[in-house]
Amino acid sequence: MNRRPLLALILLLPMLVRQASASALEAQQRLHGAVDEVLAVADRVADRRALADKLRPVLQRHVSFETMTRRAIGPGWRQFTSDQQRKATQLFTTLVIRTYSNKFTPGERPVITYKTAVAHAAGRVDVPTTLVYKGSHYSVTYRMEQEGGWRIADVVIEGVSMIANYRSQLDAQFKKAGAPAVISSLEQSVARPQ
Amino acid sequence: MRPAHHHLLRLLIPAAVVLLSQCATTKTKTSTAASKPSVVGTDARDDYDVVEASDPLEGLNRATFSLNDGLYKFVLRPISKGYETITPEPVRHGIDNVFDNIKFPVRFVNSGLQGKFGRAGKEVQKFGVNTIAGFGGLIKQSDRIPSLADVPAEDAGQTLATWGIGHGPYIVLPVLGPSSVRETVGLAGDYALNPINWGFAMKSDARKYAWIPQAANTFRQLPEQLKKYDDARSDAVDPYLAVRSAYYQNSKAAVEQ
Repeated sequence: MNRRPLLALILLLPMLVRQASASALEAQQRLHGAVDEVLAVADRVADRRALADKLRPVLQRHVSFETMTRRAIGPGWRQFTSDQQRKATQLFTTLVIRTYSNKFTPGERPVITYKTAVAHAAGRVDVPTTLVYKGSHYSVTYRMEQEGGWRIADVVIEGVSMIANYRSQLDAQFKKAGAPAVISSLEQSVARPQ
Repeated sequence: MRPAHHHLLRLLIPAAVVLLSQCATTKTKTSTAASKPSVVGTDARDDYDVVEASDPLEGLNRATFSLNDGLYKFVLRPISKGYETITPEPVRHGIDNVFDNIKFPVRFVNSGLQGKFGRAGKEVQKFGVNTIAGFGGLIKQSDRIPSLADVPAEDAGQTLATWGIGHGPYIVLPVLGPSSVRETVGLAGDYALNPINWGFAMKSDARKYAWIPQAANTFRQLPEQLKKYDDARSDAVDPYLAVRSAYYQNSKAAVEQ
């Protein structure tokens, strides 16, 4: 009967696969560049507090903080006013940058091995890596998404997704008392002394 | 958190068995609830889900959690700091490697029980390489061999998961921290498989000194365990939920490996 679409698919498949692997490669290269940039900054700056400030512009270029915030908050996001969305994004960005900067110990350099990237869906590539830091092995997977260029949308360390982790907390806040509760809980976390 | 302490475990094992037999009947209910996502994503590529824990004891768990938090802060952290101060990093690393190497039967038996015989074979190779070329496990030579560098460690909790046993309710154990009924039972199984606990089965004078390797094992694990805990806790909006989510995600990933 109608076999034409199937035939077309079979003929196109190698091309699609090639395209998928091409995007996987592109995403991986972008990540590689981003990580190298971050490490170069971390090497130069010894003070942790200063590191967060120095890393901010670098991370803002490579990390999709808007997407991260929206997903960390979850379905409640749609009920935020645009002002609340802006405020939440700003706070969550600061929190993520600080969390990330705090992971560096001055003078210690991580050794990163990139494994084969996997294109999960159109516009999404997961890059698994192994990280050796201070003598310990960690598995770290970067989730890259196409948003006018490849950008980091999540970091999964030893199976723990940063976004899923925040969603479990922020969704609970939203269910308790809506958008204001989410924003004030983020404000508290950002204000907490390190 | 799983620094094993025998007295505590002896108390916990019967309790855990009771809980497991109870949850075996309610298991189907919790597992369907856990597998059904309650929310839809915020965009087309959003595949995150918030339903991950069965936590009927949340009130009690939160109380134990804050008790543990105080204990870590005021008792365990000072001990851990003391250990870090008197023992240089390379020495601590060597000690960790030795204990990790001795724990070989835990990984070997559980790999076998899960039908992962290739992985069990790799564990044997690792044990051989590290014991002989690594001076009794002091140096982890297997890290230099690509095929042996990243062998996922199996434990009894993962074995039970492979056999189709669900987590059961989340429980925060006193001192030991986040766990589930399944993992608590697993902890007991791994306790029996770990040679450092075998001293108690001996008849001779060795029995008198059987606590020493256990105590040493507890001490040497403190810095890393506390670091893991701090990582899950710091910058959290709700530390209890952050640790619970990290615990479930991490153990799910370990089972899938």
